[in-house]
Amino acid sequence: MTPDLIYGLTGMAVFGIGLVGALCAQDRLRRVLALKLCSVGAAFVLVVGAWREPPGAPDPVPHALVITGIVVMVSATAVALALIRRLQTLEAEDDA
Amino acid sequence: MTLDLDMMMMAIFLPLFGAIAAFILPRAAALVGLVTLALTTGAVIALGLEVRQSGAVVLPLGGWGAPLGIDLRADGLSVAMLALTSAVGFLVSIAALDALKGADQARERQYFWPLWLLLLTGINGVYLSTDIFNLYVMIEVIALAAVGLTVLSATRAAVQAGLEYMYASILGALLFLMGVGFIYLQIGRLDFTGLMGAEPTAALIAAVALMFVGLALKTALFPLHLWLPAAHANATAPASALLSGLVVKAALYIVLRLAQYMPFPSETLLTLVGLMGAGAVIWGGIQALRAERLKLLVAWSTVAQIGLIFVAFARAGEVGLTESWKAAALLILAHGIAKAAMFLAAGRIKDEIGHDVIRDLDRAPVRPTLAQFTFALAAISLIGLPPSLGFIGKWSLMEGALVAGYWHWVAVTMLGTLLSVAYFSRVLSAFLRFDRIRTPVAEHQGWALADAAPLTLALTAIGLGLMAAPILRFIEIGYPFGAAL
Amino acid sequence: MTDPLVIFDLLLALGIVALAIASLSVRDRFAMIVLFIVFGLFSALAWVRLSAPDVALAEAAIGTGVTGALLLKTLHHLRFVESRTAITEAACAPVPLGVLLANAAFCGLITLGLAVAFLGAPSAGPGFDALVAEAMPASGVDHPVTGVLLNFRAYDTLMEVVVLLAAVIAVWQIERGLSDAPAPAMGEVWQGFARLVLPAIVVIGTYLLWVGAEAPGGAFQGGAVLAAVGLLLLLTRAYVPRPEHRGIARGAFVLGTGTFALVALMVAGGGRVAFEYPLDHAKTLILLIEGMVTISIAVTLAALFHGREPVALPKGGRDDT
Repeated sequence: MTPDLIYGLTGMAVFGIGLVGALCAQDRLRRVLALKLCSVGAAFVLVVGAWREPPGAPDPVPHALVITGIVVMVSATAVALALIRRLQTLEAEDDA
Repeated sequence: MTLDLDMMMMAIFLPLFGAIAAFILPRAAALVGLVTLALTTGAVIALGLEVRQSGAVVLPLGGWGAPLGIDLRADGLSVAMLALTSAVGFLVSIAALDALKGADQARERQYFWPLWLLLLTGINGVYLSTDIFNLYVMIEVIALAAVGLTVLSATRAAVQAGLEYMYASILGALLFLMGVGFIYLQIGRLDFTGLMGAEPTAALIAAVALMFVGLALKTALFPLHLWLPAAHANATAPASALLSGLVVKAALYIVLRLAQYMPFPSETLLTLVGLMGAGAVIWGGIQALRAERLKLLVAWSTVAQIGLIFVAFARAGEVGLTESWKAAALLILAHGIAKAAMFLAAGRIKDEIGHDVIRDLDRAPVRPTLAQFTFALAAISLIGLPPSLGFIGKWSLMEGALVAGYWHWVAVTMLGTLLSVAYFSRVLSAFLRFDRIRTPVAEHQGWALADAAPLTLALTAIGLGLMAAPILRFIEIGYPFGAAL
Repeated sequence: MTDPLVIFDLLLALGIVALAIASLSVRDRFAMIVLFIVFGLFSALAWVRLSAPDVALAEAAIGTGVTGALLLKTLHHLRFVESRTAITEAACAPVPLGVLLANAAFCGLITLGLAVAFLGAPSAGPGFDALVAEAMPASGVDHPVTGVLLNFRAYDTLMEVVVLLAAVIAVWQIERGLSDAPAPAMGEVWQGFARLVLPAIVVIGTYLLWVGAEAPGGAFQGGAVLAAVGLLLLLTRAYVPRPEHRGIARGAFVLGTGTFALVALMVAGGGRVAFEYPLDHAKTLILLIEGMVTISIAVTLAALFHGREPVALPKGGRDDT
C-alpha cells in the first residue's frame, strides 16, 4: 500500500461526502463548507497524481494547479459568504 | 512577433485593463467601459481578418508552448464567439448607459462596469484557451463577475437567486476540476492537443462525465437548470441580457470544443445528452407558458433554447458529430443575439409600464411600442421563422437529423417550436390588444438610445440569417480535424 | 511489510474522512467550523506526506486559515442578526432522513465509480516531470513550483489574481450599505498578544515570499500570512477602515493584477511573446511580480474578511446613495 493509493481513495471519499452535503444541506453555511470539502477532494486527486515513488521528486505542475485552485476557491467562498450575510440581513429587514 | 498574435492578447488584456481602470476611477467608469468595448471590438475584428486570411493562429504564452506552457489559439469558431461577445456586449453597454442612469443608481453604475469588463475578460479568455485547467480558472472569473452582476439590484429575490447561482457555479467548476484531475492522472497533459486520440479508459470516461455534468450545471441544461430562471429574471435588464446572451454560451462553447478534440466515448452518452436537451425544450416551454412575469418567461425560454442547442449537438449521433457542432454553433450565435435583444426589450417594457406581469400588459396606459416591436423581432428569431439566423440553425439541425434518420430529434424540434410560438404569443397578443383600456393610450416612442441597442440586436438576429453561408464557412476555418477529414 | 508510515497514513486518512463527515453532521455551527479547520490541517499534513509542502502551506494558510476566518466572521454576523429578530437556527429544518439517504446513496455510487476509475488510472503515470526539469534552468527561479506558477503557467496565475480581484469587487458590491455586526470584543490580553506577534508575522510572511524562489513558499503563502496581520489589525480595532482609505484600498487590490499584466505585455517584442521574460531579467521580473502580487493578496484577503466597502454611514443605518 503506497501513500498515493491511500490518499487517492481518501480524496474520492472527501469529494463524495462534500457532494452529499452540497446537494442536501439546508443550512447555507453548511453548503458552503460542503463545497469546500469537494474542492479538497479534487485537490487530493491532483496532489496524488503528482506523487512519485521516493526518491523521485514530485511533478510540480499539479502542485501549482492546486495552489491556484485553493486561491480561486477562497475567492468564491468569500463571495458566497457575503451573499449569505446580505440575504440574512434582507430577510431580517423584511420580517421586522 | 506578428500583429495577429497581439490581437489575441488584446482581446483578453484590454478588458482586464479596462476593468482595473473602471474600478479605480469609479466616476469615469462608464466612459472607460465604452472605450474598452470599442477597442476590444476593434481587436476582435483585426483578429477575424487575420484568421480569415491565414487560418487558425496560435500564441505560445511565455514562449514555452504546450504542453508545458499555455497556448492561445483562435480559429473560425473562436472568432465567431468573440465577435458575438463584442457585438452583443457593445450594444448592451450602450443600453446600460440608459438603464442605469437613475440618480439612485450611482452605486449600481459604479460596480456594473468593472464587473462586466472582468466578465468580458473571462469570456474572451475561454474562447481563446486551449488548456483545460486554464478553462477552469476562466470559468471562475466568469462565475464571480456574473454573480456580482446578478445581484446588482440588491433586492431580496436577486440576492437569493444570486446565492443559488453561486452554489451551482462553484459545484459546476469543482466537478470540472475533478475531471481535470482525472485527465492529468490518465494522460499527464492538460492541453487540447494532448486529448486528441486518447484511449477511452475508465479514468477518461469519468473525466468526460464529470466535466460534462459540471458544464451542464454552468449552462443550466435540464435537469440542472434550477438556478437559472430566478437568476436571469431578477437581475437588472442589462445584466440579464449579458447573463442570458453571453455567459451561458461560454460553458456551451467548452462542451463543443471538448467534443471536437475528444469525441464522446459512446453513442449512449450522446443520446443521453440529446434526451436532456429534449427535456429542457419541453420543460422550459411548459414553464414559459405558465410564467406570470415577462422576464421569467424570457428566462424559461433560455432554458428551452439551451436544450435545443444540445439536441442539435446530438442530432446525428456519434458519426454526425463532425457536422453537428456547426448547427449547435449557429443556434448559439442566434440565441445570443436574439436573447440579449429580448431581455433588453423586456427591461424597457418593464421600465415604461412599471411592472412586467404578462396578464396586465395590455391594461397599461403607456405603450412602449419600439420595445414591443423589438421584442417581437427577437421572438421571430427565437421561434425560428425565416429568414432569421434562428431559422437557419433549426433548419440545419433538422436537415442533419433527417439525413441520419433520427426522426425523434426532428419531432422534439417541432414540439419546441410549437411551444415557443405558444408562449411568445401570450406576450405578443397582449401587445396587440387595444380594447382593454378605455382611457386614451399614450403612444410612448421610447428614448432613442435606449431602444436603439435592442432594436439593432434584434434586426441583426434576423438579418444574419441571410449571411448564414459565409458564417458557416467562417466557423469552419481551422477546425482541428479539418485537415484529417 | 508493515511500515509504520503506512499505519500513520491509514490513520490520517481515516481521520480526514471522519472529520469531513463530522463537520457536515454536527449540529452546532461553531463546532462545524472548528471541525472543518482541523480537517483542513489534517489534509495539509497528508499533502506533506505526499511531498507537496507548497500545497500544504497554501492549504493551511489560505484554504483553512482564511476560509475558517471567513466562516467564523459570517457565523458571528448571522448570530448577531438572529439575536435581533425571530429568525433562529431552527428555521433550517433538518433534512428528512429519506432525502439524506437517497442523496447519500446517489453520491456513494458516484464516488464508487470515481474510485474504480482512479484505481484503473496509471499510478505515477505520465507527467510534466521531464519537461519541467528541462526548462527549469531558463525559468529564472530555482524552485519548480514557483517556476510553474510564475513562468511556465504564469497566465493561469495572472487569471487567478484576477479571480481574487473579481471576488473583492463582488463582495464590495454585495455588501454595499450593509451595517456590520459589532466586532467581537478582544480582551486586553489579546490586544497585547497581537502587538507582540504582529512583527513576527510580518517577518514570517516576507520570508515565505523571499524563499519562494528556492524553497517551498511564495507569493500566495506569504500573502496569506501577511493577510493575517490585516485580520489581527481589524479584529483588535488597531485599524478601522475609513471611507477616505477606499482609493488606496482599490489601488492595493489592483496592484498585483496590474503589474503582472503590464510586465507580461511589456516583455513581448523583439521576437519574444507575452509572458516571455528575457533570461537575464527573469529573476528580477518574477520577484517584482511576486512582491506586488503578495501585497495585493494580503490586502485583498483582509478586505474579503472585513467585507463591506468602508463608507460613511449612520450607525445601523443603510446607505443607498
